[in-house]
Amino acid sequence: MKTNRAFLAISSTALIVIIILISLRAYYVTIALIAGILIIGHREFWSLIRRKKLPPIDERVRENAGKSIRNGFIFFVLALAFLMLPFSVLLIRTPNIVHVLGGLFLSGGMVYLLSYLFYDRVEPKLDERGLKMLKTFLLVAGISLASGIISVFLHNAISGLFGIEEPVFFFITVFIVPLALAVGIIGSLVIFINGLFSRVS
Amino acid sequence: MRTRIKEHRAKQNLTQEKLAEMVGVRRETIIFLEQGKYNPSLRLAHNVAKALKTTINEIFIFDDDYC
Repeated sequence: MKTNRAFLAISSTALIVIIILISLRAYYVTIALIAGILIIGHREFWSLIRRKKLPPIDERVRENAGKSIRNGFIFFVLALAFLMLPFSVLLIRTPNIVHVLGGLFLSGGMVYLLSYLFYDRVEPKLDERGLKMLKTFLLVAGISLASGIISVFLHNAISGLFGIEEPVFFFITVFIVPLALAVGIIGSLVIFINGLFSRVS
Repeated sequence: MRTRIKEHRAKQNLTQEKLAEMVGVRRETIIFLEQGKYNPSLRLAHNVAKALKTTINEIFIFDDDYC
């Protein structure tokens, strides 16, 4: 009963949001929202199609959803702050504010979806070694992304200050950062997908 | 943490699906509980023990237990 009510509430809210998004012509956000709902709620939809009882929202599901909402919210706030600080004037003047906000919601939603899939279906299936490797690959991706931004800033600052073409940070930005980022992203994706589709008995 | 849920479930002739239904959780939760990959709340642990007609101590074993 509780699950039915929750499912009905989520579905009707999603339907209203979808109508609003379509009226704002944010089609890509609409498609992403529908895809996300189908991925997360595929068990519920499958039960509905087969006219079976909906699976209960137990404490594990509630816990995972809570942690994922927290992650998505933190990402959304950080991304908004990152955009607002340097580009606040540009953002207000832009005629595509709906698309900017849509992109932010979309990224926050993606973080929620990936977090939920991780906590619900990947983490319990990975052993200690797998989790450690995933953490390492994510760390490599994060550090390379941060060092990329810092290297661009330092390259421009040094070149501007001394009037020379700075070579070290240029080399780091163009060759090392993309390589490390690719290794980090591909490695984490392989472990994530491997965990997601491995079977439990 | 190790569990003896599978053993007790077999004794009671219960499937994971049936036990999940009795306790009011998803089948995946029972799977992860059996593998010791989910730390349940005290209430859930109590409900599982009750459904298997045993005690919490009997089905949840902590490796660093010094009692």
